[in-house]
Amino acid sequence: MAKRILLYAVLAVGAFVSVFPYLLVVLTAFKTQAQLSGTAPWLPGLPPTAENLAKMLAGDFPRYLLNTAVMTALLTAGQLVFTTFAAYAFARLRFRGRDVLFWLFVATMMVPSAVTMIPLFLIMRELELVNTWYGLLAPYVLGTPYGIFLMRQFFKTLPAGLEEAARIDGAGPLTILLRVMLPLCRPALGTLAIITVISSWNSFLWPLIITSGDDTKVITVAIATLKQGIGVDYNLMMAGSLIALVPMVAVFVFFQKHIVRSVVLTGLK
Amino acid sequence: MTSHTAERSLGTDVQVAKGRRRRGSGWHAYLFVAPSLFGVLAFLLLPMVIVLVLSLFDWELLSDPTFVGLDNYRRLAGDGQTWHSLGVTIAYVLLCIPLQTVLALSLAMLLNQRVKGVRFYRSLFVVPWMATPIVLALVWGWIFDPRDGAINSALALVGVTGPDWLSDPTWALPAVALVSVWQYTGYNMLFFLAGLQGIPKELHDAAETDGATPAQGFWRVTLPLLNPTMFFVSVTNLIGSFQVFDTVYAMTDGGPSHTTEVINFRIFQTAFKEFDFGYAATLSTLLFLIIFLVTMAQVRFFGKRTTYDLS
Repeated sequence: MAKRILLYAVLAVGAFVSVFPYLLVVLTAFKTQAQLSGTAPWLPGLPPTAENLAKMLAGDFPRYLLNTAVMTALLTAGQLVFTTFAAYAFARLRFRGRDVLFWLFVATMMVPSAVTMIPLFLIMRELELVNTWYGLLAPYVLGTPYGIFLMRQFFKTLPAGLEEAARIDGAGPLTILLRVMLPLCRPALGTLAIITVISSWNSFLWPLIITSGDDTKVITVAIATLKQGIGVDYNLMMAGSLIALVPMVAVFVFFQKHIVRSVVLTGLK
Repeated sequence: MTSHTAERSLGTDVQVAKGRRRRGSGWHAYLFVAPSLFGVLAFLLLPMVIVLVLSLFDWELLSDPTFVGLDNYRRLAGDGQTWHSLGVTIAYVLLCIPLQTVLALSLAMLLNQRVKGVRFYRSLFVVPWMATPIVLALVWGWIFDPRDGAINSALALVGVTGPDWLSDPTWALPAVALVSVWQYTGYNMLFFLAGLQGIPKELHDAAETDGATPAQGFWRVTLPLLNPTMFFVSVTNLIGSFQVFDTVYAMTDGGPSHTTEVINFRIFQTAFKEFDFGYAATLSTLLFLIIFLVTMAQVRFFGKRTTYDLS
């Protein structure tokens, strides 16, 4: 019995630690400057004020949010389309050089993104795409090797005879993919989508390097400059953080079962 | 629109099938792979080649690049600042990886028992994972604030004066590492939990019947069978930790007095603050080499005991 209590106590502490920083963001974002120094950080400021949020939303923040949403949507759409095609070909079609190509893809999963940043920047500079939407999106819109790996694993789990019936009816690979396979792929596509949405929304180093103007500024870059802009106004900073975090928290709450599935898809279960 | 293209391709495919019999799907396959292949070639492999070539040049962007042979590598050998940042990176890796792995495995083992509300706890533990690292840097900057931050305020309650975490050369790096531990422990736990659930219960029962203590059961049954999970988790975590950037950039900016200047931060500074692109490429090559060697070492370490199904 004592063991059970200890077990739940440890789990509760873990859960508390996991959630506490989020809680702090919310509490701080709704405090006035006076409440910030007058109350303990873990206590709410009463009465709460929406002034910080209003102030952040009155500036350029909504614009950066929109930029980030557009970037996230385009990268996710690109990832889903191109990854599905490639993964399907690797998993279910026969063609010369398939295995060599697939191993090439797997090998590139090991290339650290930090290493490719500088040459990517130079390529974009050569193409005069620095500080443009094209430059921001190009390196990631065609899908990632990791996504292809994940989707290929999923296609492999589908029964082998699935395409036969359609093929006998005279359907080509494109028809089979769109009509037969795609409806079965929804769970895997959901998982890939959520992973891509989160990583796109959170991406920082590439946008920091490739963009400088307001037209392409994303929320992470805007957040990074907050500190220099407003000094140590924590309530404003946390209001900005809250705005940037809420979309991801919403995605998480609604689609969290897909995150768990990503684990299963890597084939480690 | 979808049905339109589908039907058109159906027509052409029948023609191809007529002409070439069965292996008619070949050109479709190449077409399907083409966009991704272009992406891999243009944005992953070409950059790797450019990094290697550029590391042999001196280039400050404004003038033309000049070939300097191995000069950059000679400079690297005597560049104390870079070796220092490499040491910082390794210290960072050693601060996060063991802690987040052990914590993740422990939590997974706790949840793998008959616990009420497993899904509830599992979700809460994963909540940190999806947070934007750059936002986390601000949030944890606030938590670590020397005067009003949550940690020092809590310490003050018990009469302890906490340090100025992020400005203290001793504490800055552990503080940054803690953010990583906080963010990734729960996500890693998911993998361990899946791995644990894949271990047949009979094996533990058999070990118990043979008189194995719980500790022996863990070391002799659980851990060896978790090998594939351990491999995956440690490889992905190490590759990620060696490239840490966002939290350092926004929490400490490499300071105080370079104590948090990890290698990726130094590469960024060399390229985009000092515009020394040739040398930055040399540093990138070094980082790639290190990550490659560490990964290979892990492949060997986990080696034949791992059955990692790629087929």
